[in-house]
Amino acid sequence: MHNVENSIREAAKKLLSEKKVDLIVGYERGTLPLRTTPCFVDKAEDVRKLVWNENCDANLSKYLLSRKENVGVVAKGCDARSIAVCIFEKQIDKEKVVIIGAPCLGLIDKKKVKAKLDGRELLEATIEDEQIRLKGEGFELVFPKKDFICNSCLTCRHRNPPIYDVFTGEKVSEAEVDEFGEIADLEAKPAKERWEHFKEELDKCIRCYACREVCPLCYCKTCFVDQTMPIWFGKTNDLSDTMIYHLVRAFHVAGRCVDCGACSRACPMNINLREVVKKTEKIMKERYDYTAGLSLEKIPPLGEFKIDDSQEFIK
Amino acid sequence: MNNPYIPNPTVIRRITTENDANDIKTFELVFTDPEALKNFRYRCGQFAEISVFGAGECPIGIASSPTDQGYIQFTVKKVGVVTTALHNSEEGTIIGVRGPFGNGFPLEAMEGRNVVIIGGGFAFTTLRSLTNFILHKTNRDRFKDLTVIYGARNPGELIYKYDLKTWGQRDDIDLNVTIDQAVPGWTGLVGFVPAVVKEVAPSSDNAIAIICGPPIMIKFTMPVVSELGFSPDETFLSLEMRMKCGIGKCGRCNIGNKFVCKDGPVFTFKELQMMPKEH
Amino acid sequence: MVVFQMVWKVIGKNKIPTLIQELNKEYEVFTPVKKENLVFFERVSSGNEAFLDFQNTKKSPKEVFFPQTEILFTYEINKQGVEIEKAPVLKRDIVLLGIRPCDAKGFLLLDKFFSSGEYKDLYYLEKRRNTTIIGLACNRPLSTCFCTSMGGAPFGKEGMDLLLQDINDKYLIETVTERGEKLIKKLPWLKDAENGDIDKVRSLSRNVEKAIKSKVSVEGVSKKLDGMFDNKQWDLIHEKCLGCGVCTYLCPTCCCFDILDEATTKWKRVRIWDSCQFSCFTLQGSGYNPRPSGKERMRQRIMHKFNYFPKNYGENFCVGCGRCVQECPVNFDIREVVEAISTDIWREKDE
Repeated sequence: MHNVENSIREAAKKLLSEKKVDLIVGYERGTLPLRTTPCFVDKAEDVRKLVWNENCDANLSKYLLSRKENVGVVAKGCDARSIAVCIFEKQIDKEKVVIIGAPCLGLIDKKKVKAKLDGRELLEATIEDEQIRLKGEGFELVFPKKDFICNSCLTCRHRNPPIYDVFTGEKVSEAEVDEFGEIADLEAKPAKERWEHFKEELDKCIRCYACREVCPLCYCKTCFVDQTMPIWFGKTNDLSDTMIYHLVRAFHVAGRCVDCGACSRACPMNINLREVVKKTEKIMKERYDYTAGLSLEKIPPLGEFKIDDSQEFIK
Repeated sequence: MNNPYIPNPTVIRRITTENDANDIKTFELVFTDPEALKNFRYRCGQFAEISVFGAGECPIGIASSPTDQGYIQFTVKKVGVVTTALHNSEEGTIIGVRGPFGNGFPLEAMEGRNVVIIGGGFAFTTLRSLTNFILHKTNRDRFKDLTVIYGARNPGELIYKYDLKTWGQRDDIDLNVTIDQAVPGWTGLVGFVPAVVKEVAPSSDNAIAIICGPPIMIKFTMPVVSELGFSPDETFLSLEMRMKCGIGKCGRCNIGNKFVCKDGPVFTFKELQMMPKEH
Repeated sequence: MVVFQMVWKVIGKNKIPTLIQELNKEYEVFTPVKKENLVFFERVSSGNEAFLDFQNTKKSPKEVFFPQTEILFTYEINKQGVEIEKAPVLKRDIVLLGIRPCDAKGFLLLDKFFSSGEYKDLYYLEKRRNTTIIGLACNRPLSTCFCTSMGGAPFGKEGMDLLLQDINDKYLIETVTERGEKLIKKLPWLKDAENGDIDKVRSLSRNVEKAIKSKVSVEGVSKKLDGMFDNKQWDLIHEKCLGCGVCTYLCPTCCCFDILDEATTKWKRVRIWDSCQFSCFTLQGSGYNPRPSGKERMRQRIMHKFNYFPKNYGENFCVGCGRCVQECPVNFDIREVVEAISTDIWREKDE
């Protein structure tokens, strides 16, 4: 981890001093335990601010959209994949971006930590190898780190960025994971129960749009939610409107989503926003053997029409 | 206490298409409840929230003059959901009105003074209200010389052509109507509003200037007006902002700590210079 | 001036359900309720739902008076024209139990705002005026709580009618207002507090206040911001903000709204929460936007809280509850901004 951090700083320093980029987007220490915050470095001497750890959870590719200057960006596997999708979709100019790829061993899910502490506030967290030490008023607990890894990381098969310009540290081995195991229970439910489940989950939504704003692929200039001519559906937090918002958004990112998990992490109401999209990801995999963000050239299945495309949905 | 969010019903009595592009119309409304009409006492320069039932609500400057008895008029450009719905409405449709809101023009300060009105494009609506108010026989004596400078892109975009005609026939108003570029058949002034203001050069002696127009017109007109000697606290501008509630509560129309809906929409140039440049 | 007798009562923690049960007969009772690890204020129908062992609720209780979606009126369009039906008025008075001092202070700020000016906001005020607030002093403030910097205190009584103060297995109930006293009189079974209890609470209050470590020097910030509208730091601080509504929606004082018409079985005009952080908040029909980027929108949020509101109402529009700090997806920390302005770092960097 330390190695990677140093190596990120070196790469950033080199890029800045050689004027290959005007700006580095990375992470710096946050103001709370288990937090980092996005950081923008434009001077070589400031690269020491950059950190690398299990709390580098923001998907920084969001900050590359609509940038004029040349930018170096720190990217985990999922971040690099979303950058790839954005490059393919002409939202990020490949010539203006230097991807500083970093191997990822999984992010800590602070919501899982919160749940474990059950109302007690975390004041300090340290991670040593495979253990995490949580300290607060009147408690100090040690747990295996794996108990708190984000669900999106637990099903990740691309910890090493598949696309990068500079690689920092050493590549890590890709885990053999059950990519879609987490939605098996949901899939097994009858449609009615699934619907009930989504209703229950989405009823918590307060329409703050954090999921949309953090999503690297939600870059529409005017989101369908905000369009007024015509108004497609209501903006209240009435369940029917909220469901349309989330389900249409899920469709918009289907076949493009890289499951970085940013939406679920950002949601203040703890809605599992990844679920529906995970299912679409599975369909893409099974039907087209396609995984988003692995290539800059391959046309995504939903981006083209083939005469032999399966059409059994037309009944 | 009256609930300021509940609109009063009115009926569209007459619709007048104002421009060639057909996207600016004047709606003449009459209150269905005589009590509501009595309560709707307004000043020139104020606005009201117009409800198109089944579409929503939007703020519109009052285009009629308080001297117009029994009805109110709003001139509306078709731009969004509500204004489009209003444009699609027919005479006889019920329209909600709540207001009047905002401060309006400083009529008291204008009394006994020369008045210079400068307007551009569609923003001329409340200035038309003011002009008609001053020109009304019960008011004309209270004000001295009246100069009106009004510009539009082309002759077809000039609104209130019927008023311009009447005004032009009077000798107690110095009316200067201009279009951006010369077109065949146009015999009036040609040029942008700032240039025409410079050309007409209304005297700032004992005078108050009232200005309303698109941001670009304001930007280039202000230096000319200052040059002519109008002091910043006697130059008044009417601003436009996105508004919803009209009563200073919904929080979107502020410039600094002032709300355009309740502290404005009319501000002196001096006030605006002190306010953040965020409008 | 209203003179009433300050009474101190006690209630065993195990009697809270009984209290709620009894209040429920006459009032709409809202208390903190725990739902899958998150605590919210909700209308409770039984005493057992209340969950008082929380640090602070996820959402602020502002939604009791200023709900995310509120019907202003309904209407029907028919052959005769349009029939407007006013929104139903409050049937029963409200009791809010378990309000933290920061949130109670938030209500006072909202009161100032919604009752000011020529037009009062009757929707907010009607609910607010008919509410009795039973506060709950804060024994365990969070590390992100900075109420003391914002003029509040973990045992603050401002905005409370009654204040519950947690001493082990019971709560001491302090009467703060006449309204609170009225409520107490309806509960004759409450026992009187003993002097020892009151002393205990006083020392606890001092200790807890001392334990608040998060301090923000807000003194003079409002004045300093006067000359900072064009400060270059605005260009930098907004950069990480992604423009979601988490901070404003969870904030106990943010109260901007939108008004729109919606149809279900009937047409209704509703107001819904809106946020100055959204790009379409100030977007005009013509396409012009006076706050076109995150910079202007972030500046609006900070300025509104620490300059515009203080100018209009004499107080900062922030109570230091720390919700925005805890919940921001990118860890934007408003305390850092205020601190930097206060200590002149902004001014120096701008020179």
